[in-house]
Amino acid sequence: MSFSPRKTAFTPGSRAPKPRSGGTPDNPLAAELTRVLGPTKVLSTLSERRNYRYDAIQFGETPLAVVLPESTADVVMAVRAARAAGVPIVGRGAASGLSGGAVPMQTGLVLSFTRMTRLEVFPEWREARAQAGVVTLSVTEAARPHGLIYPPDPASFRTSTIGGNLGENAGGPLCFKYGVTGDYVRGLQFVDADGEVHDLTRDAYDLAGLLIGSEGTLGLITEATLRLSPPPKYTRTLLASFAEVGECAEAVSRAIAAGAVPAKLEFMDQACTNAVEDYLALGLPRDAGAVLLVDTDGDDLDTVEEERTLVEAACREAGGTVRRAATDAEAAALWQARRSVSPALGRIRPQRMNEDIVVPRSVLPEVVREIRTLGDASGLPVVQFGHIGDGNLHPNILYDPRRESPEAVHALAHAIALVALRHGGVLSGEHGIGTIKRPFMREALDSVTLGALRDVKRALDPAGRLNPGKILPDEERETHAHP
Amino acid sequence: MQHDIPVPALGPQGEVMAHAVDACVHCGFCLPACPTYALLGDEMDSPRGRIVLMKEVLEGTLSLADAAPHLDRCLGCQACVTACPSGVPYGELITSFRGWSEPGRERSPLDRAKRAGILKILPAPKVFSVAARVGQYAKPFAPLLPAALRAPLDLLPERVPAMRPQPPVTPARGKRRGRVAFLAGCAQQALTPNFNAATLRVLARNGFEVVIPEGQGCCGAAALHTGARDEALRLVRQNLAAFNPDDYDAILSNAAGCGAGLKEYPVVLHGLPDEVQARAFAAKVQDISEFLAGLLHAGELEPFLPTSRPLTVTYHDACHLAHAQGVRAAPRELLRAIPGVTVVEVPEGDLCCGSAGTYNLEQPELANELGVRKARNILSTTPDLIASGNIGCHTQVGSHTRRQGSRVPVLHTVEVLDLAYRGEL
Ligand SMILES: Cc1cc2nc3c(=O)[nH]c(=O)nc-3n(C[C@H](O)[C@H](O)[C@H](O)COP(=O)(O)OP(=O)(O)OC[C@H]3O[C@@H](n4cnc5c(N)ncnc54)[C@H](O)[C@@H]3O)c2cc1C
Ligand code: SF4
Ligand code: SF4
Repeated sequence: MSFSPRKTAFTPGSRAPKPRSGGTPDNPLAAELTRVLGPTKVLSTLSERRNYRYDAIQFGETPLAVVLPESTADVVMAVRAARAAGVPIVGRGAASGLSGGAVPMQTGLVLSFTRMTRLEVFPEWREARAQAGVVTLSVTEAARPHGLIYPPDPASFRTSTIGGNLGENAGGPLCFKYGVTGDYVRGLQFVDADGEVHDLTRDAYDLAGLLIGSEGTLGLITEATLRLSPPPKYTRTLLASFAEVGECAEAVSRAIAAGAVPAKLEFMDQACTNAVEDYLALGLPRDAGAVLLVDTDGDDLDTVEEERTLVEAACREAGGTVRRAATDAEAAALWQARRSVSPALGRIRPQRMNEDIVVPRSVLPEVVREIRTLGDASGLPVVQFGHIGDGNLHPNILYDPRRESPEAVHALAHAIALVALRHGGVLSGEHGIGTIKRPFMREALDSVTLGALRDVKRALDPAGRLNPGKILPDEERETHAHP
Repeated sequence: MQHDIPVPALGPQGEVMAHAVDACVHCGFCLPACPTYALLGDEMDSPRGRIVLMKEVLEGTLSLADAAPHLDRCLGCQACVTACPSGVPYGELITSFRGWSEPGRERSPLDRAKRAGILKILPAPKVFSVAARVGQYAKPFAPLLPAALRAPLDLLPERVPAMRPQPPVTPARGKRRGRVAFLAGCAQQALTPNFNAATLRVLARNGFEVVIPEGQGCCGAAALHTGARDEALRLVRQNLAAFNPDDYDAILSNAAGCGAGLKEYPVVLHGLPDEVQARAFAAKVQDISEFLAGLLHAGELEPFLPTSRPLTVTYHDACHLAHAQGVRAAPRELLRAIPGVTVVEVPEGDLCCGSAGTYNLEQPELANELGVRKARNILSTTPDLIASGNIGCHTQVGSHTRRQGSRVPVLHTVEVLDLAYRGEL
């Protein structure tokens, strides 16, 4: 047998012995962690550690040890051990992040929260209390029997964790009307770089707000109190197709100007629809240059239908063709299509560089067209999709590192980032800065603002132990790192 | 995923593996689908983690011995394949990898003997029948035995039925519509002979002459998935010789695992001279439910008699039917076609019951954990009947629901159809 039955699992819901590769901890940190936390919570063999050096975008350094904490107390002990050993700590949820946030840039400790999955729903308060490792979708699943939902809905919601969502301030299609993760946080608990536990509300200084979106560089979030809300009674869905991406962006601007507040406004360009069609075969219009997927919702059916009509008219005026989803099943299929875009792109090229820009809605048509032009000129496949209602776009450069030069990819990514900045936009809407967009931070922020961010970081993590190499560029002028 | 797998050195199977690794964008969409990830909550025991482990072993940066414990815990259920939007052929990867790596595995003599035993006994119905009978007598002593031996005994039914002869040709009844070939299967001939009997009756009733070609053997899936590639190749070729696809309208299987195995022949023979033959063969292979649902759609299926009272039938998706073969709708449509039947779904329906292939024997604790969870989920639907299309699920679900105090019958989908034809539901 390949494991010793002494090592019993603690995964909630499982009483199976926790199988472990054999072998003794082969470095002092792993040995110390094993001593204080016990063998089932510490991964130390090479095959185990190797699997904690990547997220959905890139690979980094193999950690010295991985801790799978089951409680805040475990996190405290792990942080203290890492501090004593003088090594950095990277927090990790499901590693579905798209900016390299959970990737260790230096050897150290990875804290993976996937076993901290305690979740309680308090319907009378319209609140849920979730440990960091709770999978996003399960909050809504637990709340639904009480007539409530948890609205933040990143496309990765079946996989990603609340801790990771908080780390990235994740958004989703619903964020146009309902807001992003940070808007649903009433309070949170975190462990700081010294191993102290803090319980934050959002009063006085909104320190919770500071932790949200900080990508594990200011503290390790162990629990959060989340706001729940009743789902809208009615939802209506439509799909509009356009000859060209700019038209699609125009339709969005028109619809919003006309006063519609759709729940979701998502767009995908032709390459996206085709990648999804290859996977799901839903009958999406393969020859459209861009499609727009819209939900209107609310508790009053007339208003919901009225809004759908407004959007429909805007789409037609911009030159689009409109199809209404006739049934709930049809609507669900369309949304599944949208959620599958990003991974389905893997069918085109094995690697991608993912942008996450946000621009003012008024300049959307121009920005989308400029990026299209840049992509066509580069010869690299560039696809665009995103929560277009917010002006949040995800231009993705697809490439095969064996055929296409990383320099060209990087140069194009930079050019796209500059398009956003030039039009008054920002580098990240929801996926974070991580390692991928870190080199562009100097162009995005003036030096005074950057200095303020550095001061905050220093105040909470003076020794720079929490997720080094992320968000803030090094103090001295650095050369651009390649993905 | 970028890789440095030395493809040319690994041959055609290397191509298959490198392609799968290449296609993975490590997005993690497959994690929630994976039963071992659900139980253990760690990356090495997830599909994405396993793909990385295999990549690194193939690249030579991680030893096989280091990766093996995690790869061995994979059920091969292919739930990850259904979940993966990037189209990563994980099933082909793990099967090819097991074949490639088995010669390099260090195994204890006991382990080797156990595996050899399984591979000898499972595919040989007569031997299996004898073994099962011996096992039946050993059952009372089970508590005294080590876990690895206790597990298979637990799965044996109270009474091992007598072997029934398999008619080489079953004539069509009524108007003759065509002629199909049938793979008779291995262990199920001994454990549940009624699966085949019911299949032959249902096909005959629908006007099909059913041939059980002489010389056919085990589909080879068990050998293939445990890494015994040479043995698997021998069995595959034996079947290619026994079934001439041109002679039949379809080649049918009523065991999800075997059907998936037969459909996999072109991958097994990828790059070998008989690949073309394997393609022609695989193109004709269908699960019994797929075939019958085809008749249903064409309006040609003989109607069922109504049930004597309203029946709730809980349909359990066998992984090798739902994930490996993508057959989900067909069995449900057939069951719904019986007047009086309501089909209900199992919560967490996509999670494997834990009895994939030889998993009960190799990973008894995890298999048990999944079996308990599956039985609990199924029983939460308060069914009158439980239907499924695979012998492995049948024994696992049956033994675990019984252990949880249930007396609800567990039947093969085709047994339910057969009973409906006879007005006995
Ligand atoms: C196919 C696909 C689609 C996606 N769609 C969306 C989308 O629509 N919207 C969106 O916003 N994002 C999306 N993402 C990105 C990603 O899923 C989200 O950013 C998600 O919130 C990350 O969660 P995770 O649990 O995987 O976190 P990880 O990737 O593991 O970590 C993300 C960051 O948070 C930090 N972190 C993790 N846990 C903690 C903790 N407990 N305390 C402190 N820091 C922590 C990590 O260090 C890292 O910096 C998508 C990703 C993929 C692969
Ligand atoms: S879902 Fe597919 S592409 Fe994504 S990690 Fe899993 S196997 Fe790889
Ligand atoms: S085949 Fe099943 S057990 Fe194996 S990795 Fe895929 S989902 Fe997990």
